[in-house]
Amino acid sequence: MMARAKKESKILMNILHEAQEKHGYLSEHMLKQISIDHDIPIARLYGVVKFYTMFHTEPQGKYVIEICGSPSCVLADGTALEKFLESELQVKIGGTTQDQMFSLYKTSCIGCCDEAPALLLNGEAHTKLTVERLRALLNRLKEAHAEKKKHQKK
Amino acid sequence: MLRKRNTRRSEGMQILRQTNMEALEKARTLGSDEVLTLLEKKGLEGRGGAAYPTAKKWRNSRDTPADERFIVCNADEGEPGTFKDKLIIRHNAETMIEGMLIAAYVVGAKKCFIYLRGEYEYLRPRLQEQVDSVLAKAKMDGVEIEIVRGAGAYVCGEATALLQSIQGFRGTSMYKPPNPTTCGLWGKPTVINNVETLTCVAQAVLFDDWNPSLRLLSLSGNIKNPGVYEFPLGVKMSTVIDVARPEKKLKAMSFGCFGGIMPVDENMAITPEAICMEQCQHGAYSIIFMDETVNVVDISYSIAKFYTYESCGKCTPCREGTIRILNLLKKIRNGKGVKKDLQTLQELATHIQETALCGLGQSCGNHVLTSIKHFPQDYDYYLKKGAKT
Amino acid sequence: MKIKLNGKEIEADSAKSLLDTCRENGINVPTLCYHASLFPEARCRVCLVEMNGKLVTSCSTKPREGASIITNNEHVMKARRLNMELMVPEPACRKEDDLEVCGIYEEVGMRSARFANIKEYKPDLGAAVIRDNNKCINCGRCVKVCADIQGVYAIDFASRAHNEHVTPYFEKNLADVACIRCGQCILNCPVGAISERSHIDEVIAALDDPEKHVVAQVAPSIRAALGELFGMPAGTLVTGKTVAALRRCGFDKVFDVDLGADMTIMEEASELLHRLGNGGKMPMITTCCPGWILMMEFFYHDLIGNMSTCRSPHEMLGMLIKTYYAKKAGIDPKKIVVVSIMPCTAKKFESTREELETGVDYVLTTRELGRLAKMKKVDFASLPDEEFDPALGIATGAGVIFGATGGVMEAALRTAHFLATGKELEKLEITEIRGMKGIKEGKIVLNGKEVRFACAHGGANARQLMEQKDKYHFIEIMACPGGCVGGGGQPIYRDPDTLRKRTEAIYGADRTSKLRRSHENPIVLQIYKEMLGAPLSEEAERLLHTHYVKKDRF
Repeated sequence: MMARAKKESKILMNILHEAQEKHGYLSEHMLKQISIDHDIPIARLYGVVKFYTMFHTEPQGKYVIEICGSPSCVLADGTALEKFLESELQVKIGGTTQDQMFSLYKTSCIGCCDEAPALLLNGEAHTKLTVERLRALLNRLKEAHAEKKKHQKK
Repeated sequence: MLRKRNTRRSEGMQILRQTNMEALEKARTLGSDEVLTLLEKKGLEGRGGAAYPTAKKWRNSRDTPADERFIVCNADEGEPGTFKDKLIIRHNAETMIEGMLIAAYVVGAKKCFIYLRGEYEYLRPRLQEQVDSVLAKAKMDGVEIEIVRGAGAYVCGEATALLQSIQGFRGTSMYKPPNPTTCGLWGKPTVINNVETLTCVAQAVLFDDWNPSLRLLSLSGNIKNPGVYEFPLGVKMSTVIDVARPEKKLKAMSFGCFGGIMPVDENMAITPEAICMEQCQHGAYSIIFMDETVNVVDISYSIAKFYTYESCGKCTPCREGTIRILNLLKKIRNGKGVKKDLQTLQELATHIQETALCGLGQSCGNHVLTSIKHFPQDYDYYLKKGAKT
Repeated sequence: MKIKLNGKEIEADSAKSLLDTCRENGINVPTLCYHASLFPEARCRVCLVEMNGKLVTSCSTKPREGASIITNNEHVMKARRLNMELMVPEPACRKEDDLEVCGIYEEVGMRSARFANIKEYKPDLGAAVIRDNNKCINCGRCVKVCADIQGVYAIDFASRAHNEHVTPYFEKNLADVACIRCGQCILNCPVGAISERSHIDEVIAALDDPEKHVVAQVAPSIRAALGELFGMPAGTLVTGKTVAALRRCGFDKVFDVDLGADMTIMEEASELLHRLGNGGKMPMITTCCPGWILMMEFFYHDLIGNMSTCRSPHEMLGMLIKTYYAKKAGIDPKKIVVVSIMPCTAKKFESTREELETGVDYVLTTRELGRLAKMKKVDFASLPDEEFDPALGIATGAGVIFGATGGVMEAALRTAHFLATGKELEKLEITEIRGMKGIKEGKIVLNGKEVRFACAHGGANARQLMEQKDKYHFIEIMACPGGCVGGGGQPIYRDPDTLRKRTEAIYGADRTSKLRRSHENPIVLQIYKEMLGAPLSEEAERLLHTHYVKKDRF
């Protein structure tokens, strides 16, 4: 259990991603299970999870937004989009909206610098954004969610 | 999906030439030593930013006595302003994968990894299909390729941190020696090559007319035509600016976040030497252009913020120095800065350069030193602002 | 290979680090995150030297052929200083704390602290071991010691960049996770960010309370180390001064835990022979180490049946103080406050175990006793040697060697041999289980039967021994490297030879003891005659034995 150079049969990064995909975050219970299944001390597991910004230990919103804050997006007025998102969603960077719809994060370069400003929405890149396009995107998401809720109620 | 603009530009791009398994076949016919000699003759250097001779790296790994060796493709492209590897993964992944298999053959490795950054997750399903397809065609006994999914850490693009991540640890950098090439994953010799490098391997092996002087430039910032461009080393700045088409007069250019900020000189030839003369580093040739409406200090601030997110936290100078640099720049931008703060900034930046454990720390001060050197008037703007009130 | 060291040409071993090379040539280089028993991490960047003009960390760099190494020019000094400034923004260096980091401050010539402390962490309080991340310099020694030397891995770094901090999983407190409270992290923290939960205030309140009869009982390891807190060299045996100091602090009686150890031996040797003779669970494993008990309860549930049911010495003596002594002295046991002076932080946890009605009210570590004595202005060095109070003050050499790894085993075998064969063990000093080797073993013949025994000290060694436990009949585990002389409550030491010197003092005390076998202790024999009857009797089981529980390791 302690040998640092011991080769493990499964790659931990992939184990964690697969586990996170089930509920959108890695709960204490899930990490305990991984600790048991793969014989990894839980303190070390937690340390690994907290190192990476894309692993979350708390429930996330239905839509996880990661908006890029690196220089190319800043030059394309990305900061205005940040402020817009914070006010439109009524949530600060790093938080989740009360209705659990959106989680908002600021991230480093996502590799869409030639189509700046850009963000990741649930892992998909949305590029060449303006406040208008972003507003339209958010509205589409809210509408689709409301539709789904209506259908479920029926 | 290629957009029309890219199609025009990417026609004739050497990096998108496909080798269709013929490079691997040729490599296996030539044999390990011959392939190494070929790559040496063609002068292939790493395209991840360090420009290390590829054949030399492979030879070191191959000739280190071990019962196992590994090949790792570094697809953790994370330097701000860089998106050339994304282009290759999207449009020529099979050639890159073939390059990996050539490496496996020459070096004597069986298990290969592609470390794909978490932010490129949407490329993974297609990439996995292509990996399966190429492996099936290659018929290399016992050779496996596993895609390792990154999760949002720029530092994992650094070789030793990348290996830590694959081995299931926090992605912190490790001091060298030992060098990954001779002692990497689980203590075994490990070759780590960039996406572009591996693609060039296959092309260099197969095509007699492969041009080693071509580089992929990722251009972004205050320009109308951002994108990936293929130019030969030594191309004049004016040529690059012509295709980039800035709207206003260009003032400054930053090589990613790490390379430093220098004035735009139309007459400069883009070579490592010329860039070095301005105390900058070219890295993977990502250029972020700033025009005359931009105060460079604002961009420096954004770069400083980047480093306070991405430092792994292990070594004192980088962990503590990056946040101090950010706080000083914040102070200056708020109009509360004094001249002494510039001295402290330079002292911190130089100190981190000299004493940090890895390349991230060693380069995180470049933007500070170069922006103060080349654009003192931009700092004066903020210092005077404070003095007025 | 030939290199130049501060201008002088010397012969250097290419396999040795620059740090070792400098030190071997009498040149000191300051270090902080470096640990002699662990692989260097090169985190702190204080051990900088110049190699061919470039700054490198000497702990992790090996010399190059013909290199010029400079350790003392302005470039090097300034760089070390700036790293210290960045690492420890607000030095709080009081001489009495004797923190390692303060010594490094002086060595690098710190003058100013330009950067404010930006850390804002909630302190981790409540367990026997408490932590304050606001003081942490991220050297990582606690993490590596807990993981690699103790085999526990209760803490690790989390988050990154300036948010990197040490924590148990999910930011829990140590009290709520599988931490064995061994305190090795405390011994290795250069800034005192980790310390023991102090009970000095409670003890002073008891001492000042005229209604209370406050009794101190002193563990074997204290007498080999307490002097270090008062400037004496490591390994000075200060038994008499310790007793005197406790009296000056206001304790009504001072007893010797070594007597409790003799009781433990009577019970444990009898238990071993009982198991050997009746096909009992093998191997039997000692339980005077609460750190090991916790390790077993967290990680080795299937070993509960192997553990000796004997309490640890101070727990046994605590019960006897409140029964045997209380009766003899005519004191109401409710008015007796028992304070154990221990080298151990886990004992603070042990005295609160729900599984035993404990005779011990408070545990003070060696370090806390030092602080208490200084608070009471006791001039330790000039104290006369005094004797333990006679009621429970006689102990044998077998009792005192409990402080060293292998000591419990040796003491038990001295008595087991006599109880089994009626004859005394000829070779009283069982040297094969003495010393600093991680795992030691031996064998003895009792009534024609070969009994194999082994000892391990340090959690990682304990884990290793557990892999092969079935080879043995009797196993001693000490969670702390070196045994109790290296316990988490002992004075923090920097000289790596300290443990060996303390151990020598312990074995020296045994050698010069009048009585060297637990079954010769007259008070022990008297207690059995008057109160307990015989070892393992019903009354002995009630007062001197305990049981264990399975704990969730999460």
